Amino acid sequence: MNNIVILPIVIPFLTGALLVLFPKYVMIQRLLSVLSFLAVMGTAVHLLQQVGGEGIQILNLGGWEAPFGIVLVADTFSLLLVITSCIVALGCLIYSFQSIEWERERFYYYAFIQFLITGVNGSFLTGDIFNLFVFFEVMLLASYVLLSLGGLKKQLRAGIMYVLINIVSSMLFIVAVAYLYAVTGTLNMAHLSVRVAEAGQPDLLTAIALLFLVIFAVKSALLFFYWLPESYSAPPTAISALFAGLLTKVGVYAIFRMFTLIFYHEPGITHSVIAWMAGLTMILGSIGAVAYGNIQKVLAYNIVIAIGFIVIGIAVFQEAALTGAIYYLIHDMVVKTLLFLLGGAMVGLVGTYQLKEMSGMIRNHPYLGWMFFIASFALVGVPPLSGFFGKLLVLQGTLETQFYVLGVIGLLSSLAVLYSTMKIFMNGFWGENQLSKEDEKTSTHGLLLPCTLLICVSLFLGIGVEWVNPYVAAAASDLMNPAVYIEAVLGPA
Amino acid sequence: MSWLHSVVLLPFLYALMIPFLYRYVSRIHTGWFVLPLPLILFVVLGSWLVDISEGETMLYTLSWIPSYGINLSFYVDGLSLVFGFLISGIGALVVLYSIFYLSKTRELLHNFYVYMLLFMGAMLGVVFSDNLIGFYLFWELTSISSFLLIAFWYQRKKSRNGAQKAMLITVSGGFSMLAGIVLLHSMAGTYSIRGIISQAGELQEHSLFLPAMIFVLIGAFAKSAQFPFHIWLPDAMEAPTPISAYLHSATMVKAGIYAIARFTPLFGGTGEWFWIITSVGLVTLFWGAVNAMKQTDLKALLAFSTISQLGLITSLLGIGSLALAVTEEAETALYTTAVLAAVFHLVNHSTFKGCLFMVIGIIDHETGTRDTRKLGGLMSLMPISFTLTLIGSLSMAGVPPFNGFLSKELFFTSSLSLEETGIFSAGAAGLLIPAVAWVASIFTFVYSMILIFHTFRGKYRPRRLEKKPKEAPPGMLISPAVLAAFVIGIFFAPNVLAHYVLEPMVASILPGDAGDFSIHIEAWHGFNKELFMTLGVIVLGSILFLTWKRWKGIFTLFPQVYTLNNAYSSGILKAEQAAYSFTNIYMSGLTRDYIQYILGILIILAGGMLLFSEGISFRRIDVSTIEVYEVLLAVGLVAGALTVMLASKRLTAIIAIGAVGYLVALFFVIFRAPDLALTQLVVETVSVALYLLCLRFLPEFRFRETARRVQIPNLIISLGVGVLITSFTLAAQGNKLFPSISVYFEDSYELAGSRNMVNAILADFRGFDTLLEIMVLCIAGLGVYSLISLRMKEKRDDHEN
Repeated sequence: MNNIVILPIVIPFLTGALLVLFPKYVMIQRLLSVLSFLAVMGTAVHLLQQVGGEGIQILNLGGWEAPFGIVLVADTFSLLLVITSCIVALGCLIYSFQSIEWERERFYYYAFIQFLITGVNGSFLTGDIFNLFVFFEVMLLASYVLLSLGGLKKQLRAGIMYVLINIVSSMLFIVAVAYLYAVTGTLNMAHLSVRVAEAGQPDLLTAIALLFLVIFAVKSALLFFYWLPESYSAPPTAISALFAGLLTKVGVYAIFRMFTLIFYHEPGITHSVIAWMAGLTMILGSIGAVAYGNIQKVLAYNIVIAIGFIVIGIAVFQEAALTGAIYYLIHDMVVKTLLFLLGGAMVGLVGTYQLKEMSGMIRNHPYLGWMFFIASFALVGVPPLSGFFGKLLVLQGTLETQFYVLGVIGLLSSLAVLYSTMKIFMNGFWGENQLSKEDEKTSTHGLLLPCTLLICVSLFLGIGVEWVNPYVAAAASDLMNPAVYIEAVLGPA
Repeated sequence: MSWLHSVVLLPFLYALMIPFLYRYVSRIHTGWFVLPLPLILFVVLGSWLVDISEGETMLYTLSWIPSYGINLSFYVDGLSLVFGFLISGIGALVVLYSIFYLSKTRELLHNFYVYMLLFMGAMLGVVFSDNLIGFYLFWELTSISSFLLIAFWYQRKKSRNGAQKAMLITVSGGFSMLAGIVLLHSMAGTYSIRGIISQAGELQEHSLFLPAMIFVLIGAFAKSAQFPFHIWLPDAMEAPTPISAYLHSATMVKAGIYAIARFTPLFGGTGEWFWIITSVGLVTLFWGAVNAMKQTDLKALLAFSTISQLGLITSLLGIGSLALAVTEEAETALYTTAVLAAVFHLVNHSTFKGCLFMVIGIIDHETGTRDTRKLGGLMSLMPISFTLTLIGSLSMAGVPPFNGFLSKELFFTSSLSLEETGIFSAGAAGLLIPAVAWVASIFTFVYSMILIFHTFRGKYRPRRLEKKPKEAPPGMLISPAVLAAFVIGIFFAPNVLAHYVLEPMVASILPGDAGDFSIHIEAWHGFNKELFMTLGVIVLGSILFLTWKRWKGIFTLFPQVYTLNNAYSSGILKAEQAAYSFTNIYMSGLTRDYIQYILGILIILAGGMLLFSEGISFRRIDVSTIEVYEVLLAVGLVAGALTVMLASKRLTAIIAIGAVGYLVALFFVIFRAPDLALTQLVVETVSVALYLLCLRFLPEFRFRETARRVQIPNLIISLGVGVLITSFTLAAQGNKLFPSISVYFEDSYELAGSRNMVNAILADFRGFDTLLEIMVLCIAGLGVYSLISLRMKEKRDDHEN
């Protein structure tokens, strides 16, 4: 039992509640928001050290022993994601200071961000499947509001699609939880793991597992990414970058957790389906990324490609590949957010999403350009940048488990990433400069700082593999050995 | 850290300083600050020459990710040292040349020199890395810096396109190389090249050996512009000429050749390696030479000539790899000669081609054009440039007394050596290989002559030139002159080079006994086949050149549409269009479609699983007797749901929704859940009231006739989901595997002090969920409030593409 485990949830929750009270005091809102994320990051880092020393930390809420009450579980995997989320959120937050219109700022913008992070962190930390559903709802509700905050036409149009699709999948989620509960009689994930293992995961449970897979696939944009390109290009840059970095990744987290902790007995069925979905996602994402000449769309399809790539780690179901996938996941959260922020800054300057209408921006904005350049190559996975190590391990995993086709698709998808991001770079930054300083729609003042922060994180992830990887490897090793998790939650068997 | 690491890493550190020097010491051309670096590197490398030539090697390791065996370990042997000389030596000459070539006032010199230093460091990294991951790192970095350098004049569309093409091809080649590296690592368990080579024997039996070889070769071919990947090199000529001289003829394009040489001890001696490399090399040699003849742009001519010459070196390495397959000493020596010829020509090519590029750059600089149709008669105006061109071209054509002659002779010797061999049925190709080599050499002779005569002889037509031509400033002539001196010097003293440079190089490529030999290169070795071949080349080449005007028309016979280059450009365009129309097919923008995809796949996956699963019984469900009123209620529910869908007015639909909700509440009553029934009633009442309230603000609902093709899939999907959910529910109900944990909550009074179990669960056991659900409601409330009150002004509507 460790009470600190709940802090990453409670801090943003209370901060958000507090911020609702005085929406007009923007400076205090900003300050408290930043402090909140710094505090969460601090506690998460502290917890990570504890987990390293003493093993997985848990908290039985209300003092009710697992499996009867709700349990929060902080293992290395979830903590790494909590920390990364905080970094990403912090970047987007600071970016908002200069870029978000004051109308939005005064309409609980910062409170909603805190609520969103509450949902995200809760999803990472909960050890109860119904509670996971509830945290998903918290996160989604906050995202619905952030998506439509401002009430612009395109926001509403994208919002209605986003809400409808998520409500359908949430409904399926709750139905699936009900079936799982009916068959196994429990909601605690560790307990579920024990019972599913005991029953030998009969076909009915596998069918339920597939139901969960479809649900989380919708949330993570794995194969079901249709809602993503439009809804991520509707809100202001800071919000779409936040979505790009976090939302789909929570779905990926859920897939990782469910299919390593609970439904891992029939990999021939479930994990093969995941493999197919991963392959198709990368292919469709690559085609989409190449197809468009609109910055937001190109970047949105790049999210899709990365999701497919990350999920390879679970599809091949092998420790090295999983390590790589987690590494890539962390990298992708940071770099995808960064690219969205940078893309947003470009769009802000020119006032259009269309690549055709941009040119030669490197003349007046060299830092923006070179950051975009580095971030692109990080995404492609060129060493020593952050995408490389994860990609290498995932590729090795596909090879060792003889998923050759998946490995080749993964490599070819990097080519699509390269082509599409370089298309943005070459169109946006090279060519004749057509935009004088006076004609620019907005300035990049204050936007480069958060981008620099994120690019430093990315560089650190790339060069400092030796420091970061022990944690990632520990996370993967715990995922591959559900017994560790079970023992932490339910006590020694 | 060691001296060796400093050699590789120094250019990167130096690159960091360049922008500051450019900015704050703008009076002095930035190139002067860069120049000392390659000179120092050259001297440092030179100080190792004697040791290395005696067979010593050096290895230093800098840890990066030691737990995965990924390090920056640098290794110096004969092969890498020679490349190091080329990189630093030609690098220094190119920097010197660039100081005069690039204007201090007009060009963005800091970009130029930063990219160039990045390249220099990366290229040194490629040749010195022993760890394959480090190798790959620098390998991609050379592609990236080349990309930046080709697009140095990024305002020009052609530069951007050339850069993009070069990058796409070389970086994808890099991906292939990475795949090869991953395969090698999985076989050998190490990333160290030497470690892998030491297991060569066992690895050759491995089933992944061939795929690994092919992936590595694709990477190498893409980098070294071998057919069919060569198409990027001519377009890379958009780069400033110093860069073309440096990257695209002397160093970067030889990285692929380096890789082939480096991996020869591993892959060499197998039939596949021999055949792939030799044939790709010969095709490239031939195709490059043919294309070079028809170019009117001098740089394009040199680009194709480079492709061709690289093909020559590649094919020699292919032939030379046989040395590892044969055991007989005489035969080994024969093929070792091929490797010798390869490395010899590699060095020679760097000298004469570097010289030629620089001279062409001078011509371009001084006349404003590189078009052979405009140039002519410059001999008297630019005598020094002419002399240098003459030296370089004749060496390229393989004419004595220049170094190209020596290596060309050795090339003929090697191609002839295959005639009688039985190994890998290489002899079957018979005269084909020498014949191709010979014909290609004739073409080489022809384009070398074109280069000389069409530029410097013929009619002087000043009106066609943009500038009034004059001889270049001395500073610009120094670098090509130095290279030209090497061209001649090597011819007269080839064995100095052979002893210190070529022998250790060959020894690195062919380890063990095969590389253990001493070399003696001679310009004259009697009247043998090679000599007659050379004479034939000169005679036939001269005839072809003199009759050039009569037969050059045949190049136009081959339609431009079918060239590889064209296939690439239209391929890229078509791929984008195809991707666009394909993606638009399924990304219809309609929520209905997207939900259909999701539910459709759900039905297939989960339904399929349920259908084919074993052990699910629907019989075990203990159903209580179903009363008539329950059936009636159910029918009412279905009727209500159907009404919602079929209603033509909003009001009807809303009332029907309300009816469905109340009927569900009735079910709760029947099944003795009064609290749920109450909740349900309240929720229904409130929501129906709210709906009606909203209705006031909405325009009249018009019932639209939806097309059949929409209705039918909708019907199938909804029926499918209905059947799926029903059977899932029944299956879950009938197959409870464990007792529920809810038994625990029955003691709620004992545990939580509440007689109502539901209350205890909601407020205590799972109070956290309730808290969060309240939070969800609050967010929703705030959200609705903001949505209603905050309507921002529409900015310019971004049109979709």
